Amino acid sequence: MQTTVFEQVKETVYHETLENGLKVFLVPKQGFSKTYAVFTTRYGSIDSHFQTKSGEEINVPDGIAHFLEHKMFEKKDRDVMHEFSKNGASCNAFTSFNRTAYLFSCTDKLDSNLNLLLDYVQEPYFTDASVEKEKGIIGQEITMYDDNPDWKVYMNLLKALYQDYPINIEIAGTIETISHITKEYLYQCYDTFYHPANMLLLVVGSFEPEAVMKLIRENQSGKDFPPAPQISRIFPEEQSSPAKPLIEANLAVGLPKCMIGIKERENGLTGEALLKRDQTTKLLLDIVFGTSSSVYEKLYDSGLITESFDFDYSCEKDYAYSILGGDTPDPEKLVETIKSVMEECKQAGIDEDAFERAKRKKIGNFMRGLNSVEFIANQFTNYKFNGNDLFSVLPLLESITREDVETRMKEHFLIDQMAVSIVRSASAQE
Amino acid sequence: MQKGEWSMSTHLTEIAFNSSQVNGMNVHILPTGKFKTTTIVTMIEQALSEETVTKTALLAMVMKRASARFKETKRLREHLDFLYGAIFDVDVTKKGERQILQIYMEVPNEKYLTQADSLLEEAIQFVGDMLVRPCVENGAFLEKYVKQEKETLRKRIESLIDDKMKYANQRVTEEMCKGEPFSLLVQGRLEDLPSITGEDLYQYFQELMASNPINMFVVGDVDAGRVRQAIETHIPLQRSTIKTLEISTPEKNIQEERTTVDRLDVSQAKLNIGCRTNITYKDEEYPALLLYNGILGGFPHSKLFVNVREKASLAYYAVSRLESHKGILMIMSGIEAKMFDQAVEIIKAQMETMRQGKISEEELSQTRATLTNQFRELLDSARMMIDFTYNGLLSGRKRQLDELLQAIETVSIDDIKQVADKVKIDMIYLLRDKKGDA
Repeated sequence: MQTTVFEQVKETVYHETLENGLKVFLVPKQGFSKTYAVFTTRYGSIDSHFQTKSGEEINVPDGIAHFLEHKMFEKKDRDVMHEFSKNGASCNAFTSFNRTAYLFSCTDKLDSNLNLLLDYVQEPYFTDASVEKEKGIIGQEITMYDDNPDWKVYMNLLKALYQDYPINIEIAGTIETISHITKEYLYQCYDTFYHPANMLLLVVGSFEPEAVMKLIRENQSGKDFPPAPQISRIFPEEQSSPAKPLIEANLAVGLPKCMIGIKERENGLTGEALLKRDQTTKLLLDIVFGTSSSVYEKLYDSGLITESFDFDYSCEKDYAYSILGGDTPDPEKLVETIKSVMEECKQAGIDEDAFERAKRKKIGNFMRGLNSVEFIANQFTNYKFNGNDLFSVLPLLESITREDVETRMKEHFLIDQMAVSIVRSASAQE
Repeated sequence: MQKGEWSMSTHLTEIAFNSSQVNGMNVHILPTGKFKTTTIVTMIEQALSEETVTKTALLAMVMKRASARFKETKRLREHLDFLYGAIFDVDVTKKGERQILQIYMEVPNEKYLTQADSLLEEAIQFVGDMLVRPCVENGAFLEKYVKQEKETLRKRIESLIDDKMKYANQRVTEEMCKGEPFSLLVQGRLEDLPSITGEDLYQYFQELMASNPINMFVVGDVDAGRVRQAIETHIPLQRSTIKTLEISTPEKNIQEERTTVDRLDVSQAKLNIGCRTNITYKDEEYPALLLYNGILGGFPHSKLFVNVREKASLAYYAVSRLESHKGILMIMSGIEAKMFDQAVEIIKAQMETMRQGKISEEELSQTRATLTNQFRELLDSARMMIDFTYNGLLSGRKRQLDELLQAIETVSIDDIKQVADKVKIDMIYLLRDKKGDA
């Protein structure tokens, strides 16, 4: 077991890669009551075109990674959620574009819960009947999202930004696409993506690391796994410019919702370079559009934005984009204003005081995140999958200079890379 | 009494705030080395009423725009960023028939930063700016901010419709509790907005600061004496006699259940069933009510989840939640509108099995374990520890965490059955699409 100490944040990470390829990370948190464990596979909604173990190239129905996540809870002779409940643990799972995570939190019986987590995720049990039954449940989950205007405006923005790359498809699929899911498809996906070598287990909270590592080791060495398959995912070539300038939709809302996206032109970064781009861009957005910026003040005072105005940057090896926006009485005017603000900022450059303040704010926010076992659990794996350490964010943030932010601004604030998504009430257009 | 075997941590297992009076406020301090930040929450209590609900909500929004020291919002926010991204917010929440104005502040602990500013004292000073040194001209809050925040509040109230779950929840509450203050939306009423002036609002602010109950909580790696000293210096409130708020929670005897259907442009119908329990936080039966709710719909092993979702495949979520100060139990599910009758029938059948005491040992022990876990998780969040303690203070029945956990262990199926007899459906509400038949 290896140990890494992060002096500045006073955190220690214990790590081991097991014989079957599973990567295990332990982060003990002194004085906390609860422990949080997350078992994640590097497999999400975008992985819908790949080669199976036998070398066959297949396209699986949209939404299958999420469907598979639901079906992992069903077993022949027991009910996983009830087992966790017996131990007082609260369990959950989620699927994103590029990963599926299974997790629990508990304040007691950690050993039993950890074994339960490892066992249920490593024992698939799918039947025709249970696959059919799940279609009704997931169908309702899909319609719930269909009614959610924040989700709608976000997904439509991704559809406007991306022509072919599969982050433009709904994570849960549609009622039509999931109707094609069969247990055979589920097993094919499971066999391809759930090998321990493609997975990471993280435990954060109140425990003794040696003992927990021993338990995990024993659990895994008691199971047989085939050799790790070579995973070959097939992604379409994505054009560098956005797919469509604008997508509009109607849902019942108080005020129209408007999101502006900026598609990153160059991708392919990994490790520290990726982390630096991620943090620098986030800093840039906060300096220009944050609640203490003059842009925010102007937009808010003129009534063009509300307190719902927000922004974020997402950055993975193969795709990256900024989104900004919120509720607005006048989406078209908001888009025009934001475009001209970006041009003005590129001319004016980044103010030194604003830069220092934004940096301090980011550092403070990061420290606050470390109070939360959930925050660490959710972020840590993301960073690891991209070859980074969550706890290195602090020194990296401190190293970013004003010049870095200015350079980033010039390469990122590009009008040609922008697309817009708007959701408003049907009646508002009549 | 045995402490129970669940305790695996030798650390903090009780929420022991150190309480005292400072400048007419109740100050509660919890020193703990667990967090890398210090949290300061100030709760100003008001009775929920038509006369004041909108004013309190608007006041929250105007207060956070400026202070005498930082008259421009931009300057105020720059200062917060400078304090390492201090989190600062003022908002309102509803706890039973009360409206609470909350001022929330959180700053990193100096110990983890390379430059050692006095962030804690700065933070307390900042809270003092809000309570004692507001931005006022000629006896009124600045017209500019009042006008803008009226707009923001209007938009916020109108945007309730965006989140269909919240919207359905508010609508069922309005219909079910017509005539009771609890029916009010905590953000207030649109019709009150035009007539509120900066002068009214400042006068109202002064009344609140002078005579409404104020509780201030501080959690972090702090020295209690130093904190009290800083509060005394930076928050010199002039308090007169503190009001005892008149909060009425009359028993509601339900004669018959009612039904309301709303139509909106939606794909999924939201089914809400509002029930009266006539049991609130302060009552002896409260722990049994927690178990009743947990067994019925609090968890993935609960009857609603198992029967509405897993067995009938009718919904993605089917849950029940308690409003512990009001004694309302709310059942919520998202379904296809045409499955309304079937869903209601299944839900009623679950409530009936509870009345008959058909609760397995397994359901009981799972619910005990998951509830215990939920309460113990409080200990990892400053915000949640504060809320737990404040709920006890407000209800007039201050339970220690250990005491509540003990009670959860000893509630019997018979106790739960007795609670089940008191739970009555008041309002069945459906929010559905505009297309289908009634």
